[in-house]
Amino acid sequence: MKMLLKLAFRNVFRYRRRTVITFSAISYGLGLMAVGICLYNGVNTHAMDSIINTQTAHLKILAPGYFEEKDEVPLEFTIDEPQRIKSLLKENKDIKGIESRILFQASIISGMEELPCLGVAIEPEVDPLVFDIKDSIKDGRFLEPSEPKIILGSTLARDLGLEVGDDCVLRMFLSTEDFIWNALDLEITGIAHTENPTVNRQTVFIPLSLAQEALSLDNRVTELAVRIEDRNRLSDVRESIQSRLATLGTDYEVVSFKEYASDFVELMKMRSRVQVLIPLMMILIATLGIVNTMLMAVLERTREIGMLAAMGMRKMEVMLVFVFEGAIIGLFGSLAACAIGGLGGWYLEAKGFSLSFLGEEITDMLSFLPMEVFRGDLTAGTLLFTLVLGIVVSILASLYPAYKAVKLDPIQALRHVG
Amino acid sequence: MSIAKLENVHKVYHIGKIDFPALRGIAFSIDEGEFLSIAGPSGSGKTTVLNLLGCLDKPSRGKIFLEDKDVTALPTSKLADVRRKNIGFVFQTFNLIPVLTAMENVEFPLILGGLHDSKERHRLTEEILTEVGLKDFFHRRPNEMSGGQQQRVAVARALVKRPKLVLADEPTANLDSVTGEEILELMLGLNQKTSTTFVFSTHDKMVMDFARRIIRLRDGKIESDQKVNTK
Repeated sequence: MKMLLKLAFRNVFRYRRRTVITFSAISYGLGLMAVGICLYNGVNTHAMDSIINTQTAHLKILAPGYFEEKDEVPLEFTIDEPQRIKSLLKENKDIKGIESRILFQASIISGMEELPCLGVAIEPEVDPLVFDIKDSIKDGRFLEPSEPKIILGSTLARDLGLEVGDDCVLRMFLSTEDFIWNALDLEITGIAHTENPTVNRQTVFIPLSLAQEALSLDNRVTELAVRIEDRNRLSDVRESIQSRLATLGTDYEVVSFKEYASDFVELMKMRSRVQVLIPLMMILIATLGIVNTMLMAVLERTREIGMLAAMGMRKMEVMLVFVFEGAIIGLFGSLAACAIGGLGGWYLEAKGFSLSFLGEEITDMLSFLPMEVFRGDLTAGTLLFTLVLGIVVSILASLYPAYKAVKLDPIQALRHVG
Repeated sequence: MSIAKLENVHKVYHIGKIDFPALRGIAFSIDEGEFLSIAGPSGSGKTTVLNLLGCLDKPSRGKIFLEDKDVTALPTSKLADVRRKNIGFVFQTFNLIPVLTAMENVEFPLILGGLHDSKERHRLTEEILTEVGLKDFFHRRPNEMSGGQQQRVAVARALVKRPKLVLADEPTANLDSVTGEEILELMLGLNQKTSTTFVFSTHDKMVMDFARRIIRLRDGKIESDQKVNTK
């Protein structure tokens, strides 16, 4: 076995140029695949985090009927006693924060311009426990309770040419069908630039009490947003909240971010199917490289194979020499692929990959994505997968050429001129 | 004692739709320690006889015995075992493994034969390489040696496992006459010293002069089989 390995090892370096080409095909192919996996994992996690931190929280408590109509942000399905529910759930240790919110259709008017937006009424004192809006204020400051001020998403502010300290009019629709609305004259206290372009483009935040008055909702809210301590306990916490709510005799729904952002979850699933194709293509490149190299080796070493057979080398041993050769190229190629994947993945994790170089117009077009900077997520598992995959693929790819080698008739092989 | 025996051996090659009879009923026996030349013009069946003796091929008809054991019907894997243990080959084109040194090339059959003691392997390898006059070439690779030196390595490789039979297919055809003669002298010397049986094919008169017995083939049949006492 040692001799076979020695023979295989030296043969790898016998045709240097070809080995280098195959080695490169494997290392680049699998290296890019590793980077791709890092990016995909990163986007998956960070995109979901971004949605949770700026839009959905972990769980939402909704009045019956609201969820089906949620895209219309209706005001007729409301939670009538939010304080009572909050105090009911106060004891729950799994809950980090609960915030009463109202989502409403609105538009911002500045001078002659008016842009539609999503109004979000928040409890400024609770919001930082549940969402990341406060941390994403890039100009100005966060809201104080009850003050007649407003926070604008950064893209919205830019499009309207508004800055901190400017005044604007918030038109709040009580019913879009009947075109009933109320308007508030508000000073901009802050501009929010979150990691979620959707929020930056279309959302405004005002204090809850202001909205309740303007929308004639008294103490009612459209949702209670819940952040929990440990995301892994999501379904347990959801069940316990659900059962506590049942004691009130209400049929409020508890909806998780996965259901709330189901469109996005579906999109990610679809992408993961597409994503499978990339590793497959890379594997194909590596396989073709190895098969080609090894077939050439078999052809060039036909007489040598005949001589080995004449000396009494068993078919399995001849096969092993070629399989070892493939495996050695595969091992080194995969190690290099891990280095490429590791460096690329590390860069994506540390610095991320921003689409801003494409220009404002294209980034605006892509603002349906829940993030601006794509960050990778590099794991040891990804690198291990790359390494094992490279070696396994190389071995499998060598099998056919190795089989061709042992199928040779020793006499014909010895006579081969080449 | 008979080391190999061919009984009424026929060999027909099928080339496309044409049957080409290479051997038509050959029978002879080889005794231990012989230095035998299979001679004849090209196409007479010399190489076919060596292939059959070397268990690389099977006869279409007839029987082949190695040390009184019928090897005609052995499966391919068993034939490989026979070659591994009992037969050494010397080829016209040397056929050394280019990535291995002289030492490693000669050591290779010992490893294949299952000699695990590396000290013993090295001892046997060095001994035979010294014997063929390559004491200073142990660590050279084939491309760092002349044709004559490479063929010496090949002879050493064929002999290191002490086979019953060494088969050499036109061993001097790729060498100049002086080097060719040296190789034949080397083989003859080893034959006399170790009693290893040598069978080599040739159509070269100079090579035949070294043989102690010459079997001449023509059109797949034995034309003559004579013992000679020359050099």
